[in-house]
Amino acid sequence: MSTILPEPHAYRPGKLARLKEGLRYQGGIGQWSWLLHRVTGVGILIFLIIHVLDTFFVVFNPALYDHTVAIYGGVFGGQYFWPLRWAFRLAELGLMATVLYHAINGVRVILFDFWSEGCKYQKESFVAVLIVFLALMVPAAVVVILPLASSPDHMVKVPANTPNP
Amino acid sequence: MARNRIKPQGGFELTAWYFMRISGLMLVFLAVGHLFIMHIANNVENINYAFVAGRWANPRTGWIWRLWDMSMIALAMFHGFNGLRQILDEHVHGAKARVAMHTTLWAVMTTLLVLGTYAIWMFQVDKAYVEQFKAMNSGAGSHASVK
Repeated sequence: MSTILPEPHAYRPGKLARLKEGLRYQGGIGQWSWLLHRVTGVGILIFLIIHVLDTFFVVFNPALYDHTVAIYGGVFGGQYFWPLRWAFRLAELGLMATVLYHAINGVRVILFDFWSEGCKYQKESFVAVLIVFLALMVPAAVVVILPLASSPDHMVKVPANTPNP
Repeated sequence: MARNRIKPQGGFELTAWYFMRISGLMLVFLAVGHLFIMHIANNVENINYAFVAGRWANPRTGWIWRLWDMSMIALAMFHGFNGLRQILDEHVHGAKARVAMHTTLWAVMTTLLVLGTYAIWMFQVDKAYVEQFKAMNSGAGSHASVK
């Protein structure tokens, strides 16, 4: 089933040619699901770089780690800011949506590659991706957003910096 | 109409092609499972140093979490940076720019992988710090300070 396609014609200089090349499937579900897969992939990678760096704090400075994760709960510099907590909650939901879409659509892409009939059902399978996505995302959104209805359990207080032995 | 899929015919690109699919399937379980544990089973606001220590330094199950996180970070780094390389390969055309781009991606990925691996396997609990943290944050009285 696999074939080498001719060199894409749009490898030409110029912004317009680049844009055409970027939207190479000439519209439709196939193009947008592909573009969304790329955008979510890059988004997850950017988050992952930040996440590896902040988690690295646990081995050399526990207090710095706790100060950092307290920001995610809206506590910054010993003070609580509710918009900060809301922003991180919504970003958390966005991260979950991004990872879920990339995961489910990734399975769809794998089906295209290893099931020779798969490509024929690319539109139908995208509807299936959306259904699975919503089935998982709606309950997840309720769980993630519900804590915002009440104030946080407690103000996080972080001890003074102690170097890790 | 559906067209034929493009698949590399051999060499590094074919290995990368298979790797992306196998690691992707494994990450569906590792990463989505990680999100479920951290954001659904737990409230993300309760994650702190003591929480991380309770997972990684648990005498019975610590090695499972360390192995989980190690597999996840290794697969995610290669998967993510190879994906970014594939995107940039289509948009960066100059020979020098491509060398610079590949070098940067490899350097950043290796650095992050080394940092993550070090954190996962070299982690030791700072018990004095955890005690101090728990003492400072115990009791519901501190709730009143939230306005």
